[in-house]
Amino acid sequence: MGHPPEKPEPFEGIRTAGMLAMIPLLLIIAPLLGAYIGRWLDGRFGTTPWLLIVGLVLGFAAAGREIYSIYQRVQSDEERKKKRAP
Amino acid sequence: MGLEFLARVRTTSMIAVAFAAIFVVTYVSPAWAGAFVLGALWSLLNLVALEKIVVGLTTPRQDSAAMLRRAGGGAALLFALLAVGAVLLSRLDPVALLVGFGVPFAIIILKALSLVLVSSAFWRRLTAPSGRTLGMLAACVLLVWAARPLIARAQEGGHGAGTETHPSGSGVTELPTFITLIENGLGADHPVSHFLHTWENVIFSLLVAAILIVVTGLALRRPTTGVPGRFQNAVEMVMEQLHDFFVGILGPTHGPRYVPYLGTLFLYIIMMNLFGLIPFMKSATSSLNITAALGLTTFAYVQFEGIRNLGIVGYLDHLAGNPRSVIQWGMVPLMLPIHVLGELAKPISLSCRLFGNIFGEDMLLVAFMGLGVSILAFTHLPFGIPLHWPLFIGLALLSSTLQALIFSVLSSIYFLLMLPHEHEAEAHH
Repeated sequence: MGHPPEKPEPFEGIRTAGMLAMIPLLLIIAPLLGAYIGRWLDGRFGTTPWLLIVGLVLGFAAAGREIYSIYQRVQSDEERKKKRAP
Repeated sequence: MGLEFLARVRTTSMIAVAFAAIFVVTYVSPAWAGAFVLGALWSLLNLVALEKIVVGLTTPRQDSAAMLRRAGGGAALLFALLAVGAVLLSRLDPVALLVGFGVPFAIIILKALSLVLVSSAFWRRLTAPSGRTLGMLAACVLLVWAARPLIARAQEGGHGAGTETHPSGSGVTELPTFITLIENGLGADHPVSHFLHTWENVIFSLLVAAILIVVTGLALRRPTTGVPGRFQNAVEMVMEQLHDFFVGILGPTHGPRYVPYLGTLFLYIIMMNLFGLIPFMKSATSSLNITAALGLTTFAYVQFEGIRNLGIVGYLDHLAGNPRSVIQWGMVPLMLPIHVLGELAKPISLSCRLFGNIFGEDMLLVAFMGLGVSILAFTHLPFGIPLHWPLFIGLALLSSTLQALIFSVLSSIYFLLMLPHEHEAEAHH
């Protein structure tokens, strides 16, 4: 099986769609997970509600960071595609 | 009457036995139904053995060795069936076994009678004017209507165990599986029932895995690099499509390494999803435990690959957000939990999505099947109108395939996000 580098990849569209489809769920799950871990830690250390709030904020930040990295990846894929186009 | 007559008898017997077994489970008992089905199976295999002996001895233009082999195979099957029959008779209800055993013979007699009747002049005279045919049909309907008290009496005297598994009950949220039937047969307090009930989803997922292993094993039993057989060809086609698909997503440099895992994941999930559409089976993916296990497996593999590709130091550096300046090092206590949360959110989102979709799909099927049964509840018959067919079955087929695809595509994207960029990797070489 040869790998001609200039040939357009047949499933590029699905890769981009898959990466973008992750965004909505990450936006929901990451803050929820942060809040859940924060609540659990609150219960252990008796700091209610501070760690829950910290967890929630960190969760939102994590979602933002993941989305940013996905966006970067999609953008670099687009640039590669543009370079390949005649 | 040739061999095709016997083939038709077999098909009709199987349909009739399956249909009758539903009534027997509902109105008599699951144990009686099991004995009845086994009796019919015993009889059908007996017929197959007899057919083999007759064909082996009467086929013209064959050498004596082939003739003996065929007839000997049939005779061996007959003896084996005799032994099995003796064991069945000692363990199960002999009446139920004999009734089941008699079904194929009854079908043979009825089929022979109907052949004689349909080709007779009397039947032609009877059915030629359409008015008379309609009159006969009306008479049949009236006869069934008149027999209603008998059905009602059967219902009163019937065993109640079978109806508990029926999806028409308001509290029932799952379709009955073969495990439910075993539980009903043994009783809920039996340790085997308890074990089966606890491990139901695991049993179904292992069953799917076993089927996949057997199918692949059979396809690879006698592999050929020349022109492959139909079975090997079909399996190879699926493998090739999956290979091209995942290599297309991950790129030719990293892709081939992950195709075995991602391809297996896709086939395993799609099979588990579709398993719920087979009567008396269940989608193991409608349990969060199973989907969480799948998500965790992907998570563990992605992290392992991260450590393998980047090294322990590189992996920790990646988790800390690649700090290079003093400010970035100062941000590490903040970036580390953010990154860990982001990594943990991925398998959870995968599992929740698959579980939610397949569970919802199963609930939809249960609701519409239940509705179909309750519409005919006044007739006290053990079946209903298949309202879930074909719209919701079609929807379930589509959704099952789509969810398996989404899970495996997103898993491959997780690998992609952990791996160095394809063109970066190419630049290194």
